[in-house]
Amino acid sequence: MASIAGLRTTLVEGVRYRGNIGHWSWVAHRLTGLGILGFLTIHVWDTANATFAPHIYAWSIDVFKHPFFGVGEVFVLGSVYYHALNGLRITLLDWKPEWWHHQNRSAWIVWIFFLAVFVPAGGYLLIGIFTHCADLVAEGASCWVLPSITDYPADAIYYE
Amino acid sequence: MASTTETISTRTITTKRNFESYAYLFMRLSGIALLFLAVGHVTIQLLLNSVHNLTLQFVADQWSSWGWRAYDSLLLILAVPHGYNGLRNILEDYIHNERLMRIISWVLAVFVVITVIWSLVAIMTFPTR
Repeated sequence: MASIAGLRTTLVEGVRYRGNIGHWSWVAHRLTGLGILGFLTIHVWDTANATFAPHIYAWSIDVFKHPFFGVGEVFVLGSVYYHALNGLRITLLDWKPEWWHHQNRSAWIVWIFFLAVFVPAGGYLLIGIFTHCADLVAEGASCWVLPSITDYPADAIYYE
Repeated sequence: MASTTETISTRTITTKRNFESYAYLFMRLSGIALLFLAVGHVTIQLLLNSVHNLTLQFVADQWSSWGWRAYDSLLLILAVPHGYNGLRNILEDYIHNERLMRIISWVLAVFVVITVIWSLVAIMTFPTR
């Protein structure tokens, strides 16, 4: 069917196009946007469980302490920071079209700002994952074990 | 790359006030708000706090304040439509069947409304003890 562009064509041409650095800003803006949206959807419905099904929420936030989700969290943080900075750039250039001759430089500035913020912040989160695992090992436990929903009874009290 | 023009000529045009123009405006305005709300949220919850000491007690303490409930509600109301309208914009680049695109847009819109209402009720009715 010709109505949907082939996924392969989309991916190949998306990388092939040589639109300079602005092209990579465009690719990154889309990927970070989709990534954030995927996370946001799960996060919003999960957080609603704090009210509607507290035991499921209590279980899910313990699942999210697993290193696998910890790494995902680093991606979420980076995605939000990049999408915010690049979104600001797009908004400014849209608002003042006469600034468009700065577009190449502005794309670089966004990447530099992003890395300056994300490298220490992401590193800090990664250290947090290792510390969390080391603490559990010291207690004779492991950070690799996923909690079981059966350990979170619906009639228990999780907060006061 | 050598620049061929020193100045960029601009002209003012009037555009129709339709759904797309409001959707565009919404993306820019909500984007500016999310620059503070979303960046603030991830910085506070992931860096200043941490998932490793996140408990229901922490949520209960935060939502005992109406200021935090308002912050989370505003973030929810702006972020979910911003994200799904962005997804619609991406899909429009690849799906050229208008009828199919209209169906997808409606499904996304209904999902956005349900998600926002469900979560808003959750934030507002969270029982404080």
